[in-house]
Amino acid sequence: MFCEKAIELIRELHRVSDGQLPAFNEDGLRQVLQEMEALYEQNQADVSEAKAAGRADLIPSIKLRHCCLLRNQRCVVAYLYDRLLRIRALRWEYGSVLPANVRFHMSAEEVQWFGLYKKSLASFMRSIGGQEGLDVTQDMKPPKSLYIQVRCLKDHGEFEIDDGTVILLKKNSQHFLPRWKCEQLIRQGVLEHVMS
Amino acid sequence: MFIADIKKDFYDVVANQRVALLVAADIDALCACKILQALFHCDQIQYTLVPVTGWQDLSTAFLEHKEQFRYFVLINCGANVDLLEMLQPDSDSIFFICDTRRPVDVVNVYNDTQIKLLIKEDDDLGVPTYDDIFRDEDEEEGEDSGNESDEGSEPSGKRRRFDEGAIERRIERQRAKRQWEARRREILFDYEQYEYHGTSAAMMFFELAFVLTKDTKDMLWWAIIGLTDQWVHDKIPHMKYVSDIATVQRHVSRHNHRNEDEENSLSIDCMRISFEYDLRLALYHHWSLYESICNSYYTACSFKLWTLKGQKKLQEFLADMGLPLRQVKQKFKSMDTTIKENLRDVIEESSNKYGMKDIRIQTFGVHFGFKNSFLASDMVHAAAALLESTERDENDPTDNFIKALDALSRSHLDRLLSGIDLAKKKLIAIQQTVASCICTNIILSQGPFLYCYLMEGTPDVKLFSKPLALTLLCKYLLTAFIHSTRNKRCKLLPLIMAAPKDVEKGTVIVVGIPPESETSDKKNFFGRAFEKAAESTSSRTLHDHFDTSIIELKSEDRSKFLDALITLLS
Repeated sequence: MFCEKAIELIRELHRVSDGQLPAFNEDGLRQVLQEMEALYEQNQADVSEAKAAGRADLIPSIKLRHCCLLRNQRCVVAYLYDRLLRIRALRWEYGSVLPANVRFHMSAEEVQWFGLYKKSLASFMRSIGGQEGLDVTQDMKPPKSLYIQVRCLKDHGEFEIDDGTVILLKKNSQHFLPRWKCEQLIRQGVLEHVMS
Repeated sequence: MFIADIKKDFYDVVANQRVALLVAADIDALCACKILQALFHCDQIQYTLVPVTGWQDLSTAFLEHKEQFRYFVLINCGANVDLLEMLQPDSDSIFFICDTRRPVDVVNVYNDTQIKLLIKEDDDLGVPTYDDIFRDEDEEEGEDSGNESDEGSEPSGKRRRFDEGAIERRIERQRAKRQWEARRREILFDYEQYEYHGTSAAMMFFELAFVLTKDTKDMLWWAIIGLTDQWVHDKIPHMKYVSDIATVQRHVSRHNHRNEDEENSLSIDCMRISFEYDLRLALYHHWSLYESICNSYYTACSFKLWTLKGQKKLQEFLADMGLPLRQVKQKFKSMDTTIKENLRDVIEESSNKYGMKDIRIQTFGVHFGFKNSFLASDMVHAAAALLESTERDENDPTDNFIKALDALSRSHLDRLLSGIDLAKKKLIAIQQTVASCICTNIILSQGPFLYCYLMEGTPDVKLFSKPLALTLLCKYLLTAFIHSTRNKRCKLLPLIMAAPKDVEKGTVIVVGIPPESETSDKKNFFGRAFEKAAESTSSRTLHDHFDTSIIELKSEDRSKFLDALITLLS
């Protein structure tokens, strides 16, 4: 049946839990595009025949193929767009350097898009907040206090923070640190925010 | 040196610095740690908390963190040993030690620069005076060389006479020095012979909070738990417990008088601490009354519940009070309210008839919300059970530390309730072990002390590889033994208990507790005795625990170690 491959692509994205980026399905996309090409060829042939031989009975099949083409196009665009949205969310979660396994799942064009998005976000952040700019990717929820208590979930070794002090992150040690220094590590899962 | 003004000399010093907290693994230390954490949160003092379970842990933690921190706060560890020698710190590391263990090592007391003791100076310490122990060696040498140079300038005729004089003086000095050293050894021996505990660390930190006027009910509650821990684990004598309770009671009254009257009563969700003159039955609010009576050492030992006669006596006791068995075996919270109303008085009256004069003890309880009310001893049992839980095989002691720490805060009630369940299992296990030990007579009198060894196949023996649980078992066993034996002399003996610690490595954990008596001051001499016995027999021991009366020993060396102890103590 037509459009099945396209639905497969959508289902694949839907199956993966929110936010995660599955590998770029080159194959699936190529198959959908091939199907679209085949449908288009057939439609071209039928249209010219319908015009030439005046065969009105070909019109429904032309219409059907046209609908399929539109549907395929819609599915493919939705697939690509959803992936872009997920990649955009990655910038806010991981920062400007993506971990290698995530980058592996992106196609070359997506990587390029990510680079452009990064630049755009950076220039925006530089333009607001006075001289040095404002890092809006931090503190996405209004912070309740300047310092937070964190607990180390795994051995992470030494961690250096901007003013040069080094903290040894050993499993099950608790620390009381300024919020902005810990946020990265909390997102990575090394530290856990403890509320008492 | 002792800190005179805790605010100026401790808190203000660390106010803008980053501090490393090294906390020992007992409930008093956990409570003290929570109070200090709350204070640090208030004032945004950055800290790192590292749990330590023994001297090796302490050294490792210090080595790892010494580059990054200048100020170290040691809670319930480090006072009874020469810390500077053990850790070899740089000269700019400063240690603040708040430890209940006495005697405080003399080097720690008299070091002015690096060691600051957060202990009250009059806290029953008996530290020897400085001149008795330390003496400037330089003075002596100066005298000698001065004399010799004098002698050198004298003409040769008089030299012999002066030489004799000089030799005499030197002999005199050497004799005085030997006498002084003998006296010093004696003083130090007397000072360090007995190990005991002083005021709770949690109460010290609560005092600090009070001085800073930053004390809250939560901190007061933690101070109460710290004090109760000392009482439950038998670290302080009864008199001290009562006087400390009186001190805390003043704070409790102060916190409870907050403009509360008919119109503006506090919401039921607010935390309320109340003084309770409650029964000495462990966890009875969260259990059934019957179970609690069977598993609390005071009642179990008084009734001698391991015998049939004892069981009958218990039934009589319950009948005497008019409590139907069905009610008593139900969960306490579902008992009839008519019975619960006068329960304490009824039980006190009846227990007086059965020889249990102190069934009631002064303690505190906390209430928040409609369902949650806990006694301080409940929390101590729950936290101790969590701290030493052997539920999963691979238990990282720091994991348990974190769980126990969480259980103490009000927002982690599920942890606390799981702790209470574990505590119930632990108490049942202790009771069963005590019963089996008494019935099979494996407590032997070795002359100067009683000795008991838990075989490897004993049920729940894994629970007793941990120091706190084993100490509790020891205490219960000794009380039970005293009630069950007829030998008058044995009743005054201390008890040493050994239990397998690590089956693969073949080690046992050995614990010694002082004899049980009415006016016991809980001074334990086993620390030094164990050290000496281990040295003399060159047994392979590990004195890793902060309490010197708890050691680890290789099973093969057990018998010769014991023999050495017997000869040492008789």
